Amino acid sequence: MAATMVSSAGGLLAMLNETHPLLKLHALSNLNSCVDQFWPEISTSVPIIESLYEDEEFDQHQRQLAALLVSKVFYYLGELNDSLSYALGASSLFDVSEDSDYVHTLLAKAIDEYASIKSKAAESNDEAANVDPRLEAIVERMLDKCIMDGKYQQAMGIAIECRRLDKLEEAITRSDNIQGTLSYCINVSHSFVNRREYRSEVLRLLVKVYQKLPSPDYLSICQCLMFLDEPEGVVSILEKLLRSENKDDALLAFQVAFDLVENEHQAFLLNVRDHLPVPKSQPSEAVQPVSSGPASAQNESSTAAEDVQMADGTSASVTTVPEADPSEVMYAERLTKIRGILSGETSIQLTLQFLYSHNKSDLLILKTIKQSVEMRNSVCHSATIYSNAIMHAGTTVDTFLRENLDWLSRATNWAKFSATAGLGVIHRGHLQQGRSLMAPYLPQGGAGGGGSPYSEGGALYALGLIHANHGEGIKQFLRDSLRSTNVEVIQHGACLGLGLAALGTADEDIYDDIKNVLYTDSAVAGEAAGISMGLLMVGTASEKASEMLTYAHETQHEKIIRGLALGIALTVYGREEEADTLIEQMTRDQDPILRYGGMYALALAYSGTANNKAIRQLLHFAVSDVSDDVRRTAVLALGFVLYSEPEQTPRIVSLLSESYNPHVRYGAALAVGISCAGTGLSEAISLLEPLTSDVVDFVRQGALIAMAMVMVQINEANDSRVGTFRRQLEKIILDKHEDTMSKMGAILASGILDAGGRNVTIKLLSKTKHDKITAVVGLAVFSQFWYWYPLIYFVSLAFSPTALIGLNYDLKVPRFEFLSHAKPSLFEYPKPTTVPTTTSAVKLPTAVLSTSAKAKARANKKEADQKEKAIAEKTDTSTAGKGKSSSEKDGDSMQVDTPQEKKAEPEPSFEILVNPARVVPAQEKFIKILEDSRYVPVKSAPSGFVLLRDLRPTEPEVLSLTDAPSSTQSPASGTTTGQQGSASAMAVDEEPQPPAPFEYST
Amino acid sequence: MDPKLTEVSQLFERLKAAITRKDYDTCTQQLSQLKVMLTGFRSLPPLFEETPNSVHELTLARDIFEHAVLLSVKIEDQDAFERDFFQLKPYYTDARNRLPESPNEYIILGLNLLRLLVQNRIAEFHTELELLTSTALENPCIKHAVELEQSFMEGAYNRVLSAKQNVPNETYGYFMDLLAKTVRDEISGCSEKAYDYLSVDDARHMLLFTSDQELLEYSKEEHPEWEIKNGSVFFQKAKDSAPCKEIPSLQLINQTLSYARELERIV
Repeated sequence: MAATMVSSAGGLLAMLNETHPLLKLHALSNLNSCVDQFWPEISTSVPIIESLYEDEEFDQHQRQLAALLVSKVFYYLGELNDSLSYALGASSLFDVSEDSDYVHTLLAKAIDEYASIKSKAAESNDEAANVDPRLEAIVERMLDKCIMDGKYQQAMGIAIECRRLDKLEEAITRSDNIQGTLSYCINVSHSFVNRREYRSEVLRLLVKVYQKLPSPDYLSICQCLMFLDEPEGVVSILEKLLRSENKDDALLAFQVAFDLVENEHQAFLLNVRDHLPVPKSQPSEAVQPVSSGPASAQNESSTAAEDVQMADGTSASVTTVPEADPSEVMYAERLTKIRGILSGETSIQLTLQFLYSHNKSDLLILKTIKQSVEMRNSVCHSATIYSNAIMHAGTTVDTFLRENLDWLSRATNWAKFSATAGLGVIHRGHLQQGRSLMAPYLPQGGAGGGGSPYSEGGALYALGLIHANHGEGIKQFLRDSLRSTNVEVIQHGACLGLGLAALGTADEDIYDDIKNVLYTDSAVAGEAAGISMGLLMVGTASEKASEMLTYAHETQHEKIIRGLALGIALTVYGREEEADTLIEQMTRDQDPILRYGGMYALALAYSGTANNKAIRQLLHFAVSDVSDDVRRTAVLALGFVLYSEPEQTPRIVSLLSESYNPHVRYGAALAVGISCAGTGLSEAISLLEPLTSDVVDFVRQGALIAMAMVMVQINEANDSRVGTFRRQLEKIILDKHEDTMSKMGAILASGILDAGGRNVTIKLLSKTKHDKITAVVGLAVFSQFWYWYPLIYFVSLAFSPTALIGLNYDLKVPRFEFLSHAKPSLFEYPKPTTVPTTTSAVKLPTAVLSTSAKAKARANKKEADQKEKAIAEKTDTSTAGKGKSSSEKDGDSMQVDTPQEKKAEPEPSFEILVNPARVVPAQEKFIKILEDSRYVPVKSAPSGFVLLRDLRPTEPEVLSLTDAPSSTQSPASGTTTGQQGSASAMAVDEEPQPPAPFEYST
Repeated sequence: MDPKLTEVSQLFERLKAAITRKDYDTCTQQLSQLKVMLTGFRSLPPLFEETPNSVHELTLARDIFEHAVLLSVKIEDQDAFERDFFQLKPYYTDARNRLPESPNEYIILGLNLLRLLVQNRIAEFHTELELLTSTALENPCIKHAVELEQSFMEGAYNRVLSAKQNVPNETYGYFMDLLAKTVRDEISGCSEKAYDYLSVDDARHMLLFTSDQELLEYSKEEHPEWEIKNGSVFFQKAKDSAPCKEIPSLQLINQTLSYARELERIV
């Protein structure tokens, strides 16, 4: 007999009307089991069931059953709110562990509801939020269940969302892999917690949990503490680590310091550094040799005293008993090192060495540009200078300038200003000799004063660029220069320089100095002053903003207003909701320039948050404002808000990129450029491609620059469109009939594409997903070049070297090999442009090639070796390292051509890289540490600075990068003029006196 | 035999006896007791579990519900009728293949149709009709109800009233009485719409009353809003026709304007 199918619930529904309670119960429980099938029928009887639920005389269980039934029916009807409220009535009958759509949906709904109530309560600071206890019970049951089932990530997500920090803590502490969950939680709190204060709370909790662990993860704790801006916590951790007997702890401390430095939070770092306690009894003798330790050995001896030093290494030295406690001596030594790291000097020094030694920039490109650019066209002329500066940013290689002094001297007035400032970009981070390098151009205090104000202003600006965000040593000098002049060009340069050097320090005295300049109401100086104030106050959300706003309303000069507008925007950097009042004020202003500033304020306050509200507002302004400037900026600002999720940007601005308004198109191009910088994202390139051949010249300019930003460090093997783009740039530059604007764009794009000797990328986020404040600020000011070309140099702030630099305990770079498990061609440098027939041109590139080919040749040789030896035999590579490397060095100059010859061989699927090595972002996932290597990294990181633990400390170490590289590193280049910068980079003694290269005919 | 089943059958016997005795209070009490006992059987709807005695149990349960339905007619309780009928229905539909046909089936179906007609639930009436097989439609009990409905719809109210004389089953009487009232309600509803007022004579005639007195009582009870004066019945009070829907002009204007504004802003 066939199983009987039930065709209707009518009978059961009728039973509900029976008088006998047992019948009702029977009906309810049966209905409950068949509701999934018969809900349409039951839905007509919902009122009856509801009345059962409300019937006070009814048994509790029955009422809950009725509630559950109604809830299910409402769920099927799509009335989730009603469904939820009845499910709450069903209390314990609502089984959170049931695996059905109904339960899943309602749980999600309940959690959403709860989270929204909680967050609303938190936002309105209403302590006694009236949350339905039943709702709370359900959510808690869910959380408990997740924790029981081991779904800790889910539990944490819900707990964070619902602001249940107690549950969050429980989830973390009960999880089986606390480290993993904690790092997951940090990630989550950065990417999904929108409100700043709440995020702080979460992080504070995390720190608490971390500290309870038996083996705390100091790296993560310190990251959290940095976000919370609690230097004291970091200080105590660092001190503990430094005082430890174990060398590994000290290594860890150094690593912590490097990681902190990477986030470029200058004020915080200075705070930490200054709070580190001095050794109890500091033996002055013991300190002296160390303080002048790795970095500043030479500069102490010869450089002028005004140059940056490790500021307080010796300052605290008191004459005390020489025979001090050995542990104190050790601490003192480590302290000096860590101070060096925290001040950023160590990393800057190493970066500089890396960029110098790996410089692969192609002078031929510049030469081509130079030749094709018309002499008279000053825009393209200075664009070439900018391009050169960007290409060599941080490499200290100024060959091009030195070789083309005549050509350079055509720069007059402001062009001269930027030409001089360009030196700052090239020597960026050259802290020790920055001042002496720029000395010839600096204003000579009263004496003679032969230089033109333009080059003097430019030099001050250059000093700022060199010391950007690490301006401890130079601040005073810049202040003096600012005060002692009343030439507005010099004031302009000094203001910018000062702003850069004192980035984010909120120094009151400097602020007052700059304010005085502002109040002279001179357009040129005032603009720089406005920006500079912003730089000084970055992210402080200080009261100064309203002061600036008032002045912006008073002054007549548009330039000043614009400078101030940007400055105000900078002050609210990263403040998110806190900035809303100010943003509101600015975006409603009558003056389009202030509204334009409001866009920047939105961009910076919400930078990298992908906050929906901000995006909505920006999109609104992008289509509704009357001023083209505001619309352009609004679109551009989207790039800043979205840079943490670059995949989103092309989608969001794709419509805007087809706008009829060229300003909007321009903004769209730059927005993509900013947020997708260095990613090589395919969608971004597809979006920009049509814009590079737009009908309007400035759109082409923006698109070319944006494209270059996206494609930086991507080579043709990765995306064939890079090659196309390079050819397009060349074509535009060579084309006589091309508009100046787009020509300038193409020249700049060439510079950005090969920025920093092809060893840097544009990165707005650090590896721990923190904003890199300098980089963001740099790009924001850079995007102002629309009005003021010299601001182009700010882009150099966003460059970060793509390198893996391993360091030993002495913060030296030992020879250390690791594996890149991908085809070498995927990530290699772009091939140098082929040389046209000119003979002079041939010479130059080969000179560069010899140095750079070395790394490649070495790598190639290694590969060959590797193929021969079985991997197992690799144990002896490190021991044999010394002999081998020296032999290679001999071969270097001869092997210039070997890469080309070896092309014929089938490409290996991996590559051995030698510390320090260029590791482009896309390559990071392929980086592996060889298992039997002598060194083990303290933390596993594919790029940046990594401290290495020496497993065989007794063996002699071979250093790859040394302080005096000129002899070992570039044997071939020592003779060529092209590498003069090398000497200056490393050893002062050999520094050729910076001649007066630009004898301007003023 | 299962002791529970025996108990139920015994109680059922007593119920039947009580029905013949016309001891309706005992009946309802016993019936409710029976129903509770029936919930204990897992072979009954909606579970329909296969048990050794399932056929027997199903048959017994069906008999009980059939009696319940008929009883409800006897005690003139429409709600109980509806309740019991719906509980009975699965035995006719879902368990159809498993049970021998019940002699009372068509009578009860017909009664139900009649009930729907009386309650003027025409839509449900037709739904029920659709569910019946063609053989069932031939059955006099069903046919009777169908014909009534047709006359009712046509407005041949006299035929409806005359059909009272030839009912297929004596239980139908109760509903036929009620039907007369339904017809009257229908007529009065129509008159309200059709006329502003009617003379008392016409009204009486139309509403099939035999005397003015009856009309007066009827109007007092069912339609207190009717006004009887000057030998006429005035309906206009009831004519508070719903105000015709206002055009949301302001809202429409606003919308159109905002569209226009958006259009101007096209990116």
